[in-house]
Amino acid sequence: MSADPLLVETIERLLGDLVTPDLIEHAETTGWSGTTWDALAGAGFPWVGIDESAGGSGGTEFDLAAILAAVGRFAAPVPMAETAMIGGWLLAQAGLELPTGPVSALDGLAEIRGGRLVIDGTAAWGRHADRIVVASGSTVFAIEPGLVEIGPGANIAGEPRDRITADLAVDDVPHAVITGVAAPFDAPFDAQVAARTRGALSRVVMAAGALGAVSQMTIDYAHARHQFGKPIATFQAVQSHLVTAAQCAVAAQMAADVAVRALAGGGTGAVGFEVAAARVVVDGAITIGTRAAHQAHGAMGVTREYPLHQLTRRLWSWRHEWGTTKQWRRAAGACVVERGADGLFPLISA
Amino acid sequence: MKFEPVELSAAERQLQTEVIEFLDAELPRGSYTPGLGMSAANDVEFSKKLGARGWLGMSLPREYGGQARTAVDRFIVVEQLLRRGAPVGHHWVADRQSGPVIARFGTEEQKHRFLPAISSGEIGFCIGMSEPDSGSDLASLSMRATRDGDGWVLDGTKIWTTNAHHLQYCIALARTTPRDELTDKRQGMTQFIVDLTSPGLTITPIPFIDGTADFCEVVYDHVFVPDSMVLGEVGHGWAQNTSELAYERGGPDRWLSSYLVVEELLRRESAADRQGDDELLDLLGALVPMYWVLHHLSLSVARTIDQGGAPAVESSLVKEMGTRFEQDVVSAVLAYVDEAPNTGDQSLFGVILMNAALTQPSFTVRGGTNEVLKSVASKGLRPTGGER
Repeated sequence: MSADPLLVETIERLLGDLVTPDLIEHAETTGWSGTTWDALAGAGFPWVGIDESAGGSGGTEFDLAAILAAVGRFAAPVPMAETAMIGGWLLAQAGLELPTGPVSALDGLAEIRGGRLVIDGTAAWGRHADRIVVASGSTVFAIEPGLVEIGPGANIAGEPRDRITADLAVDDVPHAVITGVAAPFDAPFDAQVAARTRGALSRVVMAAGALGAVSQMTIDYAHARHQFGKPIATFQAVQSHLVTAAQCAVAAQMAADVAVRALAGGGTGAVGFEVAAARVVVDGAITIGTRAAHQAHGAMGVTREYPLHQLTRRLWSWRHEWGTTKQWRRAAGACVVERGADGLFPLISA
Repeated sequence: MKFEPVELSAAERQLQTEVIEFLDAELPRGSYTPGLGMSAANDVEFSKKLGARGWLGMSLPREYGGQARTAVDRFIVVEQLLRRGAPVGHHWVADRQSGPVIARFGTEEQKHRFLPAISSGEIGFCIGMSEPDSGSDLASLSMRATRDGDGWVLDGTKIWTTNAHHLQYCIALARTTPRDELTDKRQGMTQFIVDLTSPGLTITPIPFIDGTADFCEVVYDHVFVPDSMVLGEVGHGWAQNTSELAYERGGPDRWLSSYLVVEELLRRESAADRQGDDELLDLLGALVPMYWVLHHLSLSVARTIDQGGAPAVESSLVKEMGTRFEQDVVSAVLAYVDEAPNTGDQSLFGVILMNAALTQPSFTVRGGTNEVLKSVASKGLRPTGGER
């Protein structure tokens, strides 16, 4: 029920050595880090969690989560979530071929109308993807980027978030229907719901990794920085910020762990509620935790040369992706109401 | 720091089911006035029923009437009791901390005398730590214990002693060596098991903010305590007492106090056919995920204890976070209902909300203020490399 320790050690060492603040800065300028992608792809990481029979690297949901957590912790500027957790997974479920390069996935509108596929949404690193994966109902499309209109854009962390629009004949695009139910999602299976749930969970896991790094960076800074002749970590008001950031980090990590367990079919909680709940917890942790971390860092934290911003800007971006805070809060609320007052505590303690 | 999600075993799930079924039968909704978590009513008969089921003193050794069960098992029982506002007042402190402390530091005679009676729910304990001039700064306490024949004579005043006027015993901390004879003011303290019917004790309830009187001032005027009731070693009270605090933190009592406000609100709104309102979805969607994550964090602390860990930092983080959340719940529900709590509303929701609105400031104070907890927790947040 946990990730392969060797895999965790390998990816942490790889990203820890490779992903320097300069590399991240460069990727934000150019929109791509071929070095990072090639290193990860060379080790098969972008296809972990996808069956080997479908062209993936094998491994469990826990392995996949450990990789995404490391991507978050080191702010690695690559579409790991889109390739492994969302787009690649959809292709594999549908029996479509996995491309050798990065995959993106559409977060937005995708409708089949009279034999045509109409899409309008955002794709992370869409301009760099071999395929943009689109789910509509139970159908999965593998679209070549050359077929769609790409409006370049980026989130506030400088990660490409491109606007994708297209109106294509369904038959011009490789596609397949996912038949049956992919556990642990409910029947009738809806690939769009599954993509959105997995997308939201990818952000939860990455954010938990990043919040852990933010908390530790803040503790380190507060012990190294001296004012009034002593480390600022000895001041109660600063200690309060350290505690707040640590609480946010552990709450986010627990939310991520429990939601990943639900995705893996473990535990007794319903994946719909647990992912929504995790998003709500993590969104709150991002707001409060990054505020405390920046406050403890003072002016240094808002400079471009100190690396805190490389994590906090990503956190502020990820919370708006694959559904907003408000949407996920309502979704969690709807799960609560559906079960009613008598079902409330079982939901909490499932 | 260690927080791992807990997978309950089949046996643990079975225990959870048994507790739920017992409470469904014993305390059907509407048959009692629920309390707010651990500040719920005293009901000796109810405590005895729990004792008969083996659900008190669960972690105590079997030879002393306990069940030799785990912290997770106790968590499962306690969580279900608290979330219903069950009358846990009589046994609460004895079950949570006095029993474990006696099991750890007590003499054979003390263990045989007290632990079976704690496990059966017959006797209840209270905590004699705080004094009028000694709160979070325990080292400043001034209650004197003077040697006298085969025992000690206690003089001084304890305060905030919950249920001293109803319960049978108190574990009091007193100075057995005067402060001016010590280099370290944390030394020279000793824990005593005090029979609350002892001559020389004056117990006066202190009216609480809601008009009830659960906690007390206890004046000790030449109260004799025999040597047989010294708990642990003379002079080691500080360390024993600190270990006792670990039992107080990180449990479900630190995030469930105002839970019933939410459950009863949902029941009320559903009955009024307002369960689809966006405002309600937003409120529940904000609060329930926090209960969910606190449940998992707090359960993880219990499992760590069972694995032999000492999650002092973890439990401080959870308690601080949980108690603030208990208050946030009350504020959020008050903002949602947009009406003044009024004693005329005798619905379960109205009564609980009124109670919670009045008493919520205590959530972040009792068992150590949040400021002190932050101080404790921050000491465990080590920089990379470990040096400080």
